[in-house]
Amino acid sequence: MNPVEQLNLYLALGALLFVCGVVCMATKRNAIGVLIGVELVLNGANINFVAFSRFHPNFQVEGMIFALFVIVMAAGEAAVALAIVLNFYNNHTTVDVDTAEELKG
Amino acid sequence: MLTEQPGLLFVAATLLPIASFAILLLWGAVRWGLRPYANDNPAARNVFEMLGGAVPGPGPAYVATAAIGLAFVCSLIGFCIFLGEVGTMHELEHELVHHQQAHPDKHDDKQGEKKDDDIDKLRGEFNQLKHHWEGSVDWARLYSSSQKDIDRGAILTVGFRIDMLSAVMFVMVTFVATLIHLFSIGYMSDELQKEVEDHEVHTAHGHYSRRGRFGRFFMFLSLFCFSMLNLILADNLFQIFVSWELVGICSFLLIGFYFERTSASNASNKAFITNRIGDAGFIIGLMIIWTFFGTFNFEEIFRRVRCPQVDAHGPITFKIGEDSAKHRIVRGNAEQKEGYPFFKANPEGSLALIFPRNEHLHGPQSEQKVYPEPGATQYTTIPYWLLVVAGLGIFLGCVGKSAQFPLQVWLPDAMEGPTPVSALIHAATMVAAGVYLVGRCYPFFTPEVLLTISYVGAITLFVAASIAVVMTDIKKVLAYSTVSQLGYMMLGLGVGGWTAGLLHLLTHAFFKALLFLGSGSVIYGCHHQQDMLKMGGLYPKMKITALTMLMGVLAIAGTPFFSGWYSKDEILVSAYGFVMANKQHFLLFLLPLVTAGITTFYMFRMWFMTFTGKPRDEYVHEHAHESPWQMTVPLILLAILSVGVAWGWPPHIPEHSWLGEQLHHYSQPESVKVDFAEADKAIAAHHGHEVVFFTATSVVGIGLVFALVLYFYGVLDPNDAKEQFPDVHRFLLNKWYFDELYSTLLIRPALVIAHWCRNFDSTVIDGFVNGLGKWSVLTSYWSGRFDSGIIDGFANLIADVSYAVGSWLRNVQTGYLRSYILFLALAAMAIWVLLYAWANAVIGGP
Repeated sequence: MNPVEQLNLYLALGALLFVCGVVCMATKRNAIGVLIGVELVLNGANINFVAFSRFHPNFQVEGMIFALFVIVMAAGEAAVALAIVLNFYNNHTTVDVDTAEELKG
Repeated sequence: MLTEQPGLLFVAATLLPIASFAILLLWGAVRWGLRPYANDNPAARNVFEMLGGAVPGPGPAYVATAAIGLAFVCSLIGFCIFLGEVGTMHELEHELVHHQQAHPDKHDDKQGEKKDDDIDKLRGEFNQLKHHWEGSVDWARLYSSSQKDIDRGAILTVGFRIDMLSAVMFVMVTFVATLIHLFSIGYMSDELQKEVEDHEVHTAHGHYSRRGRFGRFFMFLSLFCFSMLNLILADNLFQIFVSWELVGICSFLLIGFYFERTSASNASNKAFITNRIGDAGFIIGLMIIWTFFGTFNFEEIFRRVRCPQVDAHGPITFKIGEDSAKHRIVRGNAEQKEGYPFFKANPEGSLALIFPRNEHLHGPQSEQKVYPEPGATQYTTIPYWLLVVAGLGIFLGCVGKSAQFPLQVWLPDAMEGPTPVSALIHAATMVAAGVYLVGRCYPFFTPEVLLTISYVGAITLFVAASIAVVMTDIKKVLAYSTVSQLGYMMLGLGVGGWTAGLLHLLTHAFFKALLFLGSGSVIYGCHHQQDMLKMGGLYPKMKITALTMLMGVLAIAGTPFFSGWYSKDEILVSAYGFVMANKQHFLLFLLPLVTAGITTFYMFRMWFMTFTGKPRDEYVHEHAHESPWQMTVPLILLAILSVGVAWGWPPHIPEHSWLGEQLHHYSQPESVKVDFAEADKAIAAHHGHEVVFFTATSVVGIGLVFALVLYFYGVLDPNDAKEQFPDVHRFLLNKWYFDELYSTLLIRPALVIAHWCRNFDSTVIDGFVNGLGKWSVLTSYWSGRFDSGIIDGFANLIADVSYAVGSWLRNVQTGYLRSYILFLALAAMAIWVLLYAWANAVIGGP
């Protein structure tokens, strides 16, 4: 199996994870579920970065550094998002994202 | 200063009344300004009370009377000094002329130089004396179109020049005016009340009542005196014109003194407007003089229009036909001689010569009056007809002021003013101004103008006398007699009786002032009754008035040895001489002769109707009384002068009248003798003095007999005469229908034209303007519609469309997180699809 085919397999896994994350975000009404979808999307992207760092000579360092950035950012995002969810729960006694529609046009 | 220039006494006499005017004006203005505050503000009340309080006091009268009295004293002293110097001055002038004619060329030999010294000495003395009596200050420097003046510019000056005529006039005017002021203190005493009820003005609430106007009356009198004195003082025509207009405005103010009465305000308007017609002529004359002579100064104008005896080149030896051209207006034609313009004298020529500014006669002076020699010997010409027009124009001004035919209509109406004003206008100021100006401008008048003056005078004196015969208002009789006497003066001047005309002006001033003040006394005594049909038998009630008035009547009638006789006889002699020399103008003697009889008749008719016979109205007779001393003293003084002002020695020869001789010797222009030489010869040849004395005296006697028969003895009833000739009576009573004639000829056409103009204005002009207005309203309406419909509509459309698009797009923003994510995914997919398609299309695959 040549490296390009190996890379394509990784990329397919990343795309699958990304689509799963997006579907999860679009379908879950629970805010926590939505966060899980977000994590899936980020990790789908991370797989791509790591795969390119492994198989593409130009991205050996950059891929790894970007993967680390994404992990750090995901942690920060989760912390902030969970804080918003907690606050939302305090105000509305629910974590259903469909009830949060006050910003509509 | 006064010893250096005693002429300044006359300037002081002129300025005193204007000072009084200024004081009274200020006084009145302060009182008027304080009046509203006098009740509340104690300081204002104190000043207000100090100035006379609410009730006008007699203070203004004292100020004005003191001013004019002082002016009289000044002029009298000035006159006496002048009398002392005038003889010497006259001799010196003659000697100078004589010297210069005998020794024209100064630098020929030793003897000549000696003579030169003599002349210079004489000239020095003469100039010194002359300087006593004239002076001027530059007022404005203008530039004249006349070429000769380029070096000098043209200067309007304010100055004074005293000769015998103005000196005598000064004494006369100030004296008469002083007495009139004094008389007015008594006559106008009604005005001293806080409230004056005017019985001749009716309002819805009975008689009109107003504040007393004592101060205002004396203020106007002062201004009037100043204007008249300034007119006599002036050494130039422009200054005269200014005073002339001031006299006009003063007469307007004083005739309209009771301006609430319609008749008074109409009369003042009539006087003013009639005078405007005359002034238009005056202005035309002034413009012609200014254009051709570049100066208004009398001496310069006369020296340039009449041929001088010497000019810069020496004695003038011009001849017109047989006679020397000296003192004549030289006519001729412009011709070419060897390529140069050349003036050829010719008695029928179309041009008149203007002589150079000749200062040679009086020598080069140290002051401003030295003109450069080359310019000084420039002869120029004026078209002769323009000279005539200028003379006629100036005379037209005099016609207006002196109420001559055809502008005589204003003077009888001017009787609406208070009687002292009538006396002032008729005796000393306004009407005298016209005659004075004719006398002053005499050398400027051509024979045509002088003939016009004579005929205007002759017509005036006859028309006015015939009207005076039927008038029953005592003041109207006097008014028409004034017009008639002014006609005599004009006639006298026109036929060459320069001295006679002006002597009549002086004597007339005294007896007319006397008659008017006498009538004022009668009117005052009869409680403002002026109609002679309600008088009669007043002699025992007011003896002083009656006797003094009789003196005036005798004087005006021309009774021998009364002042009027001396002047009127002289006028008739001049007219006789003129007619004998020019037989075709026989009316110029006949009319004044007949009128002398008519004058006697109507003056005695007035006196008899007023003072003798049975009282016609019991009420008036019962309440009649003699006037207070302020009024009778002036009457007595004037009566004395009316009798004796023209006396001379021997008294039975009119031309030996002292006053007349003074005027004749020292003031009469040289041109008179030259222009009327034939008439003078005719007087001597046809025994003029004797003929006139006998005919005139008998005509006067006939007039007196008629008056006695009709009005004193009552042998014949005047009413019979009235019934015998009703048409004549009506014709005279309506003043020869002059008012109606002017109304038809001038006033109504003017009104019709004015009506047309108004209609034209209101239909065509207004219509055009209104049409423009309507058109622009219509345009604006459509412009507004376009603006609000199309421009605004377009702007609104853009807004509406954006609003609609916005409203539709807001539906996308649902607020649901999940739908946003869906949109994101779909959008990402869409972008991917588009990129893929684009890559396929452009670069042939990803």
